[in-house]
Amino acid sequence: MISAPRSRVGGGGLSGLLLVALPVLLLLWLVLWPVLQAFVGTLYFPGKGFSAASYVYFFSDAYSLRNLWLTLWVTALTSILRVAAAMPIALYLRFRTGSIAALVQSLALFPLFVPSVLVAYAFIRVLGPNGIVDTLLVAVHLPKLPSPYLQPAGPIIGLVWEGLPLTLLLLLSGLGRVSTASVEAARDLGAGGVTIFTRIILPRIQSSIIVALAFNVLGLFSAFTLPYLLGPASPEMMGPYMQRTFSDNADPLNATTQAVITFAFCAAFGLIYVRAIAKGRKGLR
Amino acid sequence: MAQVQLSGIAKTFGKVTALDAMDLTIDDGELVCLLGPSGSGKSTLLRIIGGFEMPSEGTIAIDGVDVTDLPPERRPTAMVFQSHALWSHMTVFGNIAFGLKLRHLPKAEIRERVEKVLDLVGLTGYGARLPSQLSGGQQQRVALARSLVVEPKILLLDEPFASLDQHLRERLREEVRDIQQRLGITAVFVTHGQDEALAISDRIVVLADGRMQQVGRPGEIYAEPKTAFVAGFIGAMNMLEGTLADGEITASGLKLPAEGSGPAKLAIRPEDIELAEPAEGRTVTVRRMIDFGAHVVIDGKLADGTHLRIQTDKAIRVSQGDQIGIRVESWTVFTEGDEPRRYRSDTVRSFRGARYA
Ligand SMILES: Nc1ncnc2c1ncn2[C@@H]1O[C@H](COP(=O)(O)OP(=O)(O)OP(=O)(O)O)[C@@H](O)[C@H]1O
Ligand SMILES: [Mg+2]
Repeated sequence: MISAPRSRVGGGGLSGLLLVALPVLLLLWLVLWPVLQAFVGTLYFPGKGFSAASYVYFFSDAYSLRNLWLTLWVTALTSILRVAAAMPIALYLRFRTGSIAALVQSLALFPLFVPSVLVAYAFIRVLGPNGIVDTLLVAVHLPKLPSPYLQPAGPIIGLVWEGLPLTLLLLLSGLGRVSTASVEAARDLGAGGVTIFTRIILPRIQSSIIVALAFNVLGLFSAFTLPYLLGPASPEMMGPYMQRTFSDNADPLNATTQAVITFAFCAAFGLIYVRAIAKGRKGLR
Repeated sequence: MAQVQLSGIAKTFGKVTALDAMDLTIDDGELVCLLGPSGSGKSTLLRIIGGFEMPSEGTIAIDGVDVTDLPPERRPTAMVFQSHALWSHMTVFGNIAFGLKLRHLPKAEIRERVEKVLDLVGLTGYGARLPSQLSGGQQQRVALARSLVVEPKILLLDEPFASLDQHLRERLREEVRDIQQRLGITAVFVTHGQDEALAISDRIVVLADGRMQQVGRPGEIYAEPKTAFVAGFIGAMNMLEGTLADGEITASGLKLPAEGSGPAKLAIRPEDIELAEPAEGRTVTVRRMIDFGAHVVIDGKLADGTHLRIQTDKAIRVSQGDQIGIRVESWTVFTEGDEPRRYRSDTVRSFRGARYA
């Protein structure tokens, strides 16, 4: 009598384990194992013993630190800009319907289908030196603008555009949980647009915003193509820096050290994200 | 305190006509039910009164003031939504106090008014709870309190208890009726339950396909439906297709006196049929007997197989296959494009002009 349900629970647990076994094994093999290998490889040298010299070098080298700092603030600013740019579009799409909304949606999702390399060259053609914007300005006898190309602003603009769709989709899924009736009820009682946004909508989509920010931070921290093609050569973001250290300087030890440090930052963000989600769940119950 | 006047209200969504040429005056302190099948335009009409939809045509006036172009927040109305309209991240107190805080009332007054309205809806002491910690019925009471606390002149309710079980729904609608009368406010209540409409309304507006079918007091609508639709929609009704000729209507083998000629609908309430000796053109075969305790319903079959529902005394016992005779006490004949004609067996004369008393 008692053993039957118990064995069913056991069976469920076993097939559940089998279901997650494959992704867990892949994670161990393709992610955690290389990380461990890299970590050990930068600290332990067969025949010579332990040495943290490459880490000491990274954190005492002014150029490395400038690169890390650039990466941090570009990542933070881009993530915030992405959410800030996607929010009004998401609100518009959630609370309006019709042909204009459909057009806005397809425009906003368009970057999802454009490879980064194309984005970079389109950017250079439009905003680069003597690009379309400059040509137009000259045509109407206005001075050229300083181009964001090869400035920190270059990759930021490109990355914001590229990351808009995913951020938008995440925010939209959050807004899907805000019922129209709850917004109309607030309006009925006299709340204006700003009050409705801050008091009714924002608290309900907090966790979606955190998810969007975290996804962005994780992706941006190790972004390569756009910073490489559009960003400044010095200081440079961690992605291009790693690549250059590895192949141009032929210095795998320092490149691996940079990778481990990048991973550590991402892991820390991941931890913050997981804890925020867990807390959000508890708060909703 | 507040009278609502709708003149020539129409609403179209693209090609769909949700409402058509609607004229209605709702008096001060009245509770009016909007009743109709799904998609008949009840919610659309209510939302137009509340300011959530703009009418395509026509005007709305509240107490003689044209409010057609005013947004919801500038109308003296408050809406109670069907469900999912509470703010789940705020406590019960926070939900109810929201409208008062927007009006920048002093803290002490907000507290006092929230407690008073919680008391009114029977939720004293629940202020600190989150909506998720309440039952469905309690949640809808909070929604009601949230609307009442800002002292609207007109309360709008869109199927507020549709997601609750029968018992709770009955109790809450009585409470709403009670509160509405105590506060003396005007209320418009959307429902698709005819028993709900009959139970609480001063007047019922029956809608179908975006048109007003009939407006009247509950008893009036039950006893004197103006259209075949209303007759079939409100209360149980046997609706038979028949033909008028030679001072008689013939429907499924049943013959009853009636004037006119051509095709017509014969409407008979189950309780207007008495049992009698079987006779030509007045015989029914019993299919099933349903004992409701207080009364008995016989599901019968006419000559051509059409169902006939008969409501009769609780002492009556029949069994399947029995042949029983019937005597129809009163019936109504609906003909296309004409006023309905009502007949009674004791007089057997049309009393189409008579009013329900
Ligand atoms: N926002 C909208 N866009 C397009 N059509 C709509 C919209 N709102 C309502 N309609 C249409 O208008 C008609 C009336 O709808 P309404 O919601 O008023 O019906 P209802 O009587 O409240 O029905 P229910 O009992 O199902 O709630 C329906 O045909 C519906 O499809
Ligand atoms: Mg409706």
